[in-house]
Amino acid sequence: MVAEGLLRDLDAIGCVVEEVPYERKGYWFDVKAQKEKLPELAGAFDQHGYFVEEVVCVDWREELELLYHFNHWDDPRRFSVRTRVKATDPEVPSIWNIYPGAGWHEREIHEFFGVKFKGHPNLSYLFLHPDIDFYPLRKDFVPVTEEDKRVLLGRFPEGDEESFWLNMGPQHPSTHGVLRLLLKMKGEFIEDMEPVLGYMHRMQEKMAEERSYSQYYPNTARMDYVAPLAFSLCYVLALERCCGIEVPERAQFIRLIAMELNRIASHLLWLGTYLLDLGAATPYFFAFDDREQILDILEGLTGSRLTYCYYRIGGVYEDLNEGFLEAVDRFIQRMKRRLKDYDELVTGNAIFLGRTKGIGVIPKEVARRYGVTGPNLRASGVAFDIRVCEPYDGYRFLKPKVALREEGDSFARYLVRLDEIRASLSLLEEAISKVPEGPYRVEKLPKRPPVGDVFFATEGARGEVGVYIVSDGSDKPYRLKWRSPSFSNFVSFTEIGKGMLIADAVATLGSLDLVVPEMDR
Amino acid sequence: MRLWLKRLYRLYFQSDPFKAGLCLLAALTGVSILLGLAWLLGKALWDLGISAWGVDFLRLVLGALWVLLVLFGNALLLVWVERKVAGHMQWRIGPKEVGPFGLLQSIADAVKLMGKELVSPRYVDKPLYLLAPFLIFMPCVVVLLVIPFDPHLQIRDINVGIVLILAFSSLTSIAVFMAGWGSVNKYSLLGGMRSISQQIAYEIPMVLSIVPVVMLSGSLSLKGIVEAQKVPYLLLQPVAFFIYLISAVAEVNRTPFDLPEAESELVAGYHIEYSGMRFAMFFLAEYTNLFIVSALLTTFFLAGYKGPWLPGWAWFFIKTYLVVFVIMWFRWTFPRVRFDQLLNFSWKFLIPLAMLNLVVTGGVLKL
Repeated sequence: MVAEGLLRDLDAIGCVVEEVPYERKGYWFDVKAQKEKLPELAGAFDQHGYFVEEVVCVDWREELELLYHFNHWDDPRRFSVRTRVKATDPEVPSIWNIYPGAGWHEREIHEFFGVKFKGHPNLSYLFLHPDIDFYPLRKDFVPVTEEDKRVLLGRFPEGDEESFWLNMGPQHPSTHGVLRLLLKMKGEFIEDMEPVLGYMHRMQEKMAEERSYSQYYPNTARMDYVAPLAFSLCYVLALERCCGIEVPERAQFIRLIAMELNRIASHLLWLGTYLLDLGAATPYFFAFDDREQILDILEGLTGSRLTYCYYRIGGVYEDLNEGFLEAVDRFIQRMKRRLKDYDELVTGNAIFLGRTKGIGVIPKEVARRYGVTGPNLRASGVAFDIRVCEPYDGYRFLKPKVALREEGDSFARYLVRLDEIRASLSLLEEAISKVPEGPYRVEKLPKRPPVGDVFFATEGARGEVGVYIVSDGSDKPYRLKWRSPSFSNFVSFTEIGKGMLIADAVATLGSLDLVVPEMDR
Repeated sequence: MRLWLKRLYRLYFQSDPFKAGLCLLAALTGVSILLGLAWLLGKALWDLGISAWGVDFLRLVLGALWVLLVLFGNALLLVWVERKVAGHMQWRIGPKEVGPFGLLQSIADAVKLMGKELVSPRYVDKPLYLLAPFLIFMPCVVVLLVIPFDPHLQIRDINVGIVLILAFSSLTSIAVFMAGWGSVNKYSLLGGMRSISQQIAYEIPMVLSIVPVVMLSGSLSLKGIVEAQKVPYLLLQPVAFFIYLISAVAEVNRTPFDLPEAESELVAGYHIEYSGMRFAMFFLAEYTNLFIVSALLTTFFLAGYKGPWLPGWAWFFIKTYLVVFVIMWFRWTFPRVRFDQLLNFSWKFLIPLAMLNLVVTGGVLKL
């Protein structure tokens, strides 16, 4: 296995590696390293083909702790690398040249915690407004220094005679929401770009620190309003994991059914809006028509249509409503017919093929260095699906079929998503025939989780949704960090988007299936 | 007056298909009677010994009225038709609230647009920016003058009608570029640039597809071409027909060739900075152009006003709106092509094909 080889290398570098109980923590190995050794360490991970899932910073008042979560596609045993720096003048070497994807997480940590990353080329504002003069996620009030302000404001590079800056967004029709990209254009070709995120930033992670675990729970559905159940599930499961709660089987099945329905709804919304991006208005209405059926079913189950608050720690809020399973069955039959329509209307269309084939190719190597996940990754020929690699909840009983394409272009991503709808439909078919009887939630729950940290990842509609929770034994999280799949998928665009035509950029951005509130958090 | 208002109000809120049909019929009859009267008047004046100059003047006035009628009536109708067509293709109903079947929707929209503020950004190039919405209209008016709607309903039968049409319809892209440049907006500039190169790329196959028609009919006058068609040229020149159809879609900037205004790329392209009535002018021009290219297609390839049983103008409008429907059908089923694909398609495929078609036609005619 890959991990064993890596462990030998880590020993040679001189890090303390500790094996931790996966069932409680969500990662397998806890690596403690000095900050000077970080680049060397990252190099070792890179050699063994690991990718960075997320970079977390935790403020322990005197010290700041930086965590790097590494995972591998073929050997999904998570490494948590942690290093501690002094809170007064935090500075660590950057690993952006090894993992450019981690470089973007470093930018985020820099503006929220004030950690300086030595050697990082661009540490300007990414999420925050330039008027903010303190580091918002620190536990104490720490003002931004003059020197750091200069670094943070150095965002807009100079244009030259032959090119111009084009402001794409935040109100551009094809950025769906409020994504803003500054494109350096040469005619219609993109030379360079600078994303400006944060128009939808709500400080979800700070909110979590201010609310009790159950009070924060509804917020999870507001992260990704297209497939909110993935985030809710992730949060609920993380807490169940660290408290050691066993959920009744019926609840697990109900969760799975709701999640898969939500996944199909999300892919349908993507399908509609993506074709709208390409200039075809009609499939949009077809897709929304089908999505509406799902929303009706989920409304019957959960009581709401968009931001569900249905899962509970230890089960679900309510048992299945009457006629739910029949409705799901009807939907499955209908959707199977409709998928044929989509194939006829869209898949074979010469213009559609011309616009998507060979456009926005994400090679495997780029996908790994940027941490691309979900359907986008599977379109690049990597069979990595958390539902299969780290089965959780109902997915321990039912295995989904992993859709896989090798090309890595926009068309492959389109096909993967259609295949995922098919796979979800057959999974649903299996699930509704097997829903067991029994209780749908645990009666007794612990008041608060034990001291410690936990990471949990689920497979959302856009990829690996992860949450890292640090608990200090009180009824509020000490620190909560989301790994958002859209963010990882989006940062890869900053590399593959260079040299593209603006029309191709639209076709590629759309195919990545970004949801801005999830990216901004 | 109040009674009429009341009736209109009732019509507005309680749409009754039967009544609506009656209204439409009444309106059509009214227009026919008016036109007939005008024609009779002209004839009577001629018989009474009015000078040739006087008749000419009268025809000019009536012609101008007719052009205006076609221009606005068609645009209002087409906006409604497009929304209905789109609606039914997308499993919706489309507008239905305002008037019977939502027929008055476009009038309501026009009123709304007139009521809107004319916002003009501070740094625009004033003359270009203000002139463009009007200039885009001019070619439409001129081209409508030479289109034979009926054997007797053609305002001027110019013996070089085709040349006139080609010359003036190219002006549209100049207006579009003026709008794109004058708006001082990067998106509109890109839109204007695209418009120019698209126009150049598609004007050529368009002309090359008309030349065989001229060769077959031996006339440059539109009426002459229609009269020369014993069978519709669609049957003799299918290749030219399809080339013209594709170029026509590109010429009027509609999906899949709507690159100058490509909504998902350039937001609104060249008319991004226009609001209110100025925007409405572009909108109107788009639909008038759509009508014009369809009318020309009808004239060149579908034997224009010729047809059994029905009067000529009825045939003309039926055929034209059929073509319009086909172009709308394109719009609501196809995605948009990319810019380089669009140019490649024209230069590498359409133009050689049109050339070949021309050579073959010439050879066959010579034999």
